[in-house]
Amino acid sequence: MKRLAFLLTPILVLALVLGGLACGDDDDDKAPTQPPTATTQPTDTSTPPPPPPTAAGTIKIGIIGPMEFVQGEHHWYGAQMARDEINAAGGISVAGEMYLIELERADSNELFSTADAVTAMERLITADNADFVMGGIRSEAVLAMQDVAMDYKTIFLGCGASEAELCARVKQDYDRYKYWFRVTPFSGLNLVKNVLFELGIAGAIITQGTGFEGPLKVAVLAEEAAWSEPVVGALNAFVPAKLGMEIVGVWKPSATATDVSTELSAIENSGAHIVVPILSGPVGIPYGKQLGELEIPVASVGINVEAQKVGFWDATGGYGNYMTDLNFYAQGVAVTEKSVAFVDAFIEKFDEIPTYNAGTYEAILLLKGAIERAGTLDTDAVVAELEKTDMIGPGARIVFTGNDTPEPHDITYGPGYATAIATQWQDGEMKCIWPNLGVDEWEGIMYDGTVMWQIPPLLAQRLSSE
Amino acid sequence: MVHPSRKRDYKLISRLIRDFNGDVLTVPGRVIALIFVFVLLLFPLANNDPHILRILIMANIYVVFAVSWDLLSGYTGQMNLGHALFFGVAAYVAALLNIHYGLDPWLTIPIGGVAAAIAGLLVCLPALRLRGPYLALVTLALPFVAVAIVLLFKSTTNGDMGLYGIGRIFSSFEDPRDNMIVTYFFSLVMMLPSVLIMWKLTDARSSIVRLGIIFHAIREDEIAARACGINTVRYKFIAFAVGGFFAGIAGGFYAHFLRVVNPQDTLGVFLSFEVIMYTVFGGICSIYGAVAGVYFARAFVWDYLLTDVVEVDVGIKRMSLAIIMVLVLLFMPQGIAVWIRDKIEKTCPRCKLNNAFFRRNCRACGAELHVVKKKSIAPDMSSG
Repeated sequence: MKRLAFLLTPILVLALVLGGLACGDDDDDKAPTQPPTATTQPTDTSTPPPPPPTAAGTIKIGIIGPMEFVQGEHHWYGAQMARDEINAAGGISVAGEMYLIELERADSNELFSTADAVTAMERLITADNADFVMGGIRSEAVLAMQDVAMDYKTIFLGCGASEAELCARVKQDYDRYKYWFRVTPFSGLNLVKNVLFELGIAGAIITQGTGFEGPLKVAVLAEEAAWSEPVVGALNAFVPAKLGMEIVGVWKPSATATDVSTELSAIENSGAHIVVPILSGPVGIPYGKQLGELEIPVASVGINVEAQKVGFWDATGGYGNYMTDLNFYAQGVAVTEKSVAFVDAFIEKFDEIPTYNAGTYEAILLLKGAIERAGTLDTDAVVAELEKTDMIGPGARIVFTGNDTPEPHDITYGPGYATAIATQWQDGEMKCIWPNLGVDEWEGIMYDGTVMWQIPPLLAQRLSSE
Repeated sequence: MVHPSRKRDYKLISRLIRDFNGDVLTVPGRVIALIFVFVLLLFPLANNDPHILRILIMANIYVVFAVSWDLLSGYTGQMNLGHALFFGVAAYVAALLNIHYGLDPWLTIPIGGVAAAIAGLLVCLPALRLRGPYLALVTLALPFVAVAIVLLFKSTTNGDMGLYGIGRIFSSFEDPRDNMIVTYFFSLVMMLPSVLIMWKLTDARSSIVRLGIIFHAIREDEIAARACGINTVRYKFIAFAVGGFFAGIAGGFYAHFLRVVNPQDTLGVFLSFEVIMYTVFGGICSIYGAVAGVYFARAFVWDYLLTDVVEVDVGIKRMSLAIIMVLVLLFMPQGIAVWIRDKIEKTCPRCKLNNAFFRRNCRACGAELHVVKKKSIAPDMSSG
């Protein structure tokens, strides 16, 4: 018995300490200007503008996400901005009466536990009485959360999970799943298209800039997660076929890994010229840092949600320079006419560039529009109006896919709708590098503020000597 | 005149009442357990909030899982750091049978349990050759092997994404709140008999099943147990199979309750550690310690106190729970439930029966319970 306790005690303490470290790893993500209470209290304690005296009531919106990580944090920031903006203007008009928005914050812990995520969703709906819910990032957990929201016929606006099945379910059983809409990002296959565009630009500039003639070698570093599987599958199929590049291997660290040096060493030994990260979790920071620390002569071009935020530069100690990733917002880049003002306001308020999870801002705005058009809070009526949404937000023009498509209630992808952008870290600044007419013609699109992609010096040096 | 058979019935009932009075109501720990069961059974009458019921259902699942670990590692001493293997195997089996063959949870959950028991028997093969930390390390690696298998057979298991759209435990009512209440009672139907069976199996004083005392013997000194003629190999197989079966029952129920199964949630390292944390927190090698650990640490502290009452983010929750657990380990090294039991019960030095703390004499043998320590008399050195 004593021997057993002797063996177990260090294990237990280790597990607890690791748990504590895991939650402490993301300290760099906290926005410096954010009051401490905003990151520790589930309910909104920031001071919203004073409500107009005519408010007839409140509409409660639950914001659910992994709040200890940047993804959930930006869910919350985006929602706060929309709430403040709408409440300052008098609220949401429902059949002539004004309703203010009240936010309820729920930490889903979904990166670690689906059970916790589902419990948080049930709490939001049944205990906190949220009228609408939005958020979620991990597809596996969002599938389970979606079921709970659908049980209670509560409208759930997804702002983080890209799994196609989430929208395919609407097609399979419309009456049950019609309350689900995906506001951001677009589904996995369209994410692949954007990564291919990024790779195409990088490949063209590398070839022109260094005179390298052989096929470029590509290594894929994809986190272990459901959403990354179809992306990796599609990359395997399309990168050699469409771009003429060779895939040398796929490495799969955990989404919450704090060390990827083993994978990066293996990638270096594979002779890869480009690493394609497919990362949405906090592993994006150690990846960026260690890639620079180990001085691996490669270009990083792919998806790294952690690299979408300003804090990434400091968190990697500047080693994240030249990292290129799919993005939705960048300072000074006019994806729509509302982009620049939104990003500037976001930076002013939170000292951060919004990640795609800040799409909760757009989600609340389009929900407001749907409620006002419906003139009621009746869920079915609001769903009918949401389906008719055509709104220009700061990240895209949002139109949901129709019920005749294989994946209804998804954000429409393509020129004139949601395209996203690609950004590269260039000496501490996040610059938009795609769509770029100077390198690659894509439907004639090029947003103001776009610059040329730069070859990482280590890679240029390596290629010139090869 | 009373018929003889009826007379026998009266005697049996009066004996049961006498035993209940003598063996249950006189022992505070058992009274608390009885009250706890009644509270659980009547809880939905007082509070039918689906959020609270979900917390309790998850606690019931974790209770069975934690008690099964206590049976295997606490009682038999077979240190298993990869108990999630059994949970995950059963969850996947139950999910696959439900999705592909349309089997009801009432079939898939027990079949999942049997699959986990078979997994337990397979795991036992290396366990026969390994002990202590070496066995712990091997068992820690086994869920990773299972994850590799899941990823290998992606077309069946759906890889990282896992399986979804699994049938519910109960869904006949229109209102999900009503379904939750029924599901809660089904979770009790799963949890209470499972815990009772495992408690009886590990009871060293049981006159019905002799497993408990043999498990104790294997844990304390396997060589001595073998020298006494105990076939330790057979009993280790039994421990792994039984532990695996009940962990599998919990896993199958989890699959049908959450309706999604994926490698990270059902075969993850943290799940294996979580179950150990709860058991050690409550009191290892006691069964009720695992129950108390899950209900207190998981349901009360994690899901209710730190989420609903204090309302803090997960990072702070984790640190708070860690601090509470470290404090408990420091001041109550045997676990919180065992510490409380030692305060409210006294073991008879003669017949080893448990008695209420306020009794002066044993309820069975009458031996004095409060042994007064005699003052030690220092030898008179000067006389020599």
